[in-house]
Amino acid sequence: MIYEDEIRRLTSENEELQKKYETAIGYIRKKVDQLLTVMGTSPLKSEELDDKTLIGVDPIGIISNSFVQILKHLNRTNEKLKITNEEIKAIFESAGMGILVVDRDMRVVSYNPMLKEQFFADVSGVIGQPCYKTICNLKDHIEDCPFRKIFETGEHVQQVKWVINSRYYNVVGTPVKDDHGNITMAVLVYMDITERILAEEALRKSEERYRDLFENANDLIQCIGPDGSFLYVNRAWCETLGYSLEEVPDLTIFDIIHPECSECGSEFKNVVFGEKAGRVEAKFITRDGREIIVEGNISNILEGDRSVGTRGIFRDITEKRETDEKLLKAEKIESLGVLAGGIAHDFNNLLNAVIGNIDLALTFSNPDAEIHQRLVRAEKAALLAKDLTSQLLTFSKGGAPIKKVVSIVGLIRDSAGFAMRGANVGCEFSLPADLWRVEVDEGQISQVINNLVINAVQAMPEGGLVHVSAENIFVEGLNLQLIKEGEYVKITIKDEGVGISKENISRIFEPYFTTKQTGSGLGLATTYSIIRGHDGLIEVESNVGAGTAFYIYIPAIAGKVEGEDNIEKSRLPEAGRGKVLLMDDEEMIRETAGDMLKYMGYDVAFARDGHEAIHVYKKAMGSDCPFDVVIMDLTIPGGMGGKEAILRLLEIDPGVRAIVSSGYSSDPIMANHSQYGFAGVVAKPYKTKDLGEALKKIISEG
Amino acid sequence: MSVIKYDICGQICPSTLLIALKEINDYSQQLMDGEVTLAFYTDNRDAVTTIPESAVNMGYKVNVTKKEKCYMIEISGGQK
Repeated sequence: MIYEDEIRRLTSENEELQKKYETAIGYIRKKVDQLLTVMGTSPLKSEELDDKTLIGVDPIGIISNSFVQILKHLNRTNEKLKITNEEIKAIFESAGMGILVVDRDMRVVSYNPMLKEQFFADVSGVIGQPCYKTICNLKDHIEDCPFRKIFETGEHVQQVKWVINSRYYNVVGTPVKDDHGNITMAVLVYMDITERILAEEALRKSEERYRDLFENANDLIQCIGPDGSFLYVNRAWCETLGYSLEEVPDLTIFDIIHPECSECGSEFKNVVFGEKAGRVEAKFITRDGREIIVEGNISNILEGDRSVGTRGIFRDITEKRETDEKLLKAEKIESLGVLAGGIAHDFNNLLNAVIGNIDLALTFSNPDAEIHQRLVRAEKAALLAKDLTSQLLTFSKGGAPIKKVVSIVGLIRDSAGFAMRGANVGCEFSLPADLWRVEVDEGQISQVINNLVINAVQAMPEGGLVHVSAENIFVEGLNLQLIKEGEYVKITIKDEGVGISKENISRIFEPYFTTKQTGSGLGLATTYSIIRGHDGLIEVESNVGAGTAFYIYIPAIAGKVEGEDNIEKSRLPEAGRGKVLLMDDEEMIRETAGDMLKYMGYDVAFARDGHEAIHVYKKAMGSDCPFDVVIMDLTIPGGMGGKEAILRLLEIDPGVRAIVSSGYSSDPIMANHSQYGFAGVVAKPYKTKDLGEALKKIISEG
Repeated sequence: MSVIKYDICGQICPSTLLIALKEINDYSQQLMDGEVTLAFYTDNRDAVTTIPESAVNMGYKVNVTKKEKCYMIEISGGQK
């Protein structure tokens, strides 16, 4: 009984335990299934794992251990996310670009400090406001706002040079998606590029200015690489050298440096290889083979310390160089002229005595006598000597032109015709009737035409044709350093002769330079001097074997041509009456001229200088027999000359009639005697006839 | 680095997952140190999803390769 009770108790207890065990196993299976479901797998089936194995396998332990690892991993991930979030926040706060986050309604969700500074620095309460108000400063939204498309397309949007409130922005919009891929927000990044745009604009304008300077400079600008090729050249360079821009890449500096200027090429090379840059003068050759002279500077183009080429700025000085040479030549000729003039002056005084005495001796001699013939020959020789001194004086500017308005056509035709006499060449005239008037010294211009035509004839020993032409031209620009701008008559005398060599052509206007056996070397020098004395210009062009052309420019004046005044003068001296006071420091002049005057019937008194002349004149004024005429030498070395004496005489006697006489006619008094108080002029050396005519004219006018 | 291979073909979830999780737990340190790679060969389609997901959640790298008659799931050291 006792056992039965114990068995019942134990059986009951066993059943209780079995129930508890089953409950525990059920609980374990339930929890395992929960855990497996969390792990994403299917629940545990009882047939897969019996209760005993379930306890042995311990799936809860396994999954718990796995959760430990999962939690550790989540912690690590959270830590990283936190750091990343901090990084993103720092970037957002400190970014140099404005960052805006908007929702689907384009309302501001968040923004960074830079965006606030860019668009609403002094405004608060922006969160939740539409971006068209806060950013674009508009009252209504824009229908076609490009950033709205982010929500429609899911694509990022980029706007370049987007203008907001007069500033420029590059804007990039990017969609933000939620876990389901829906676009809930957009991030807009605003990069302010206004300063860059303004800098680019300033740079563009600056480049335009420099390009304008570069392209419109009159100087030649070039940049050359180390191999001599042209990196770039400007417009003036192309125009001067005759190349198009398309041809330049095929050229090197050595194509444009003249072969005769080999050292020029070396200079360019030396600069490239580090030698000091500086001023250079070079001779270039143009595309059509012309030589031009340039001067300027070349310098290194440096990249760091390395020379990668040269830059050069040059000026075409070809024309200036030619003008300088002409001016130099003119100065040389003029200085020689001063010397020649001084000699001629003294020589004229001597000739005056020689010619005067011969003239008187001829008068007194029997034309059939032997002595008469000798005197005639002596007079011829003396007159040739007079011509020579006349040319010297003219050349030395001594022959100040005594100008009057003339028909240049007649003068050219007569003078050329005279020079052509007896020659075996023809002459072709081209002289239009409407040539402007000129005011010239007929004798001197005649001499010029004469000289040039004779030269032309002599240049054609085998015969040929001399072309004489004239035209009206207006001179400007080219030769302004030598003559003034204005109206000119241009006379051209051109032959078909042997021409003048390059070596000789620069010297032909020098006195005593001649290539002829019998030439004096004064013809062209005198010609040059006469034309310069008329404020004109003479130029020459010649090619050996092809002939020579002389171009003369004479200043023209407006108005009608006056008739020529050709007075046929008698060969014999005019007899006269009257009392003449002759003032000259040279005794032989006083003697000779005195004899001439006496021969013509005048009473003569003498004075050696101005003081003596005034004294004698004054004394005679108070007598019954005052002087009718006073003849005064212009220059008295160490004493009072004619210029001062006439002023004194005019004070004493306003009606005094005086003739000025000089062997050195450079003084303007000789050409414009009346302006200085003289009634007449007679140039030394003079013959009895010349003196007589001057006296007769004054006395008859009186 | 050694590779430990497990042939669990013929087994289905959740036992495949439990086997894999137990081995990953046992080798967690070696896996993290990069000393060992576990390669599970299974023909259970569900396991190809559950094992990699769990392993990735634990921070391991997973590579699944289709073999001729089964899948090979390679689990190796993840990021610390």
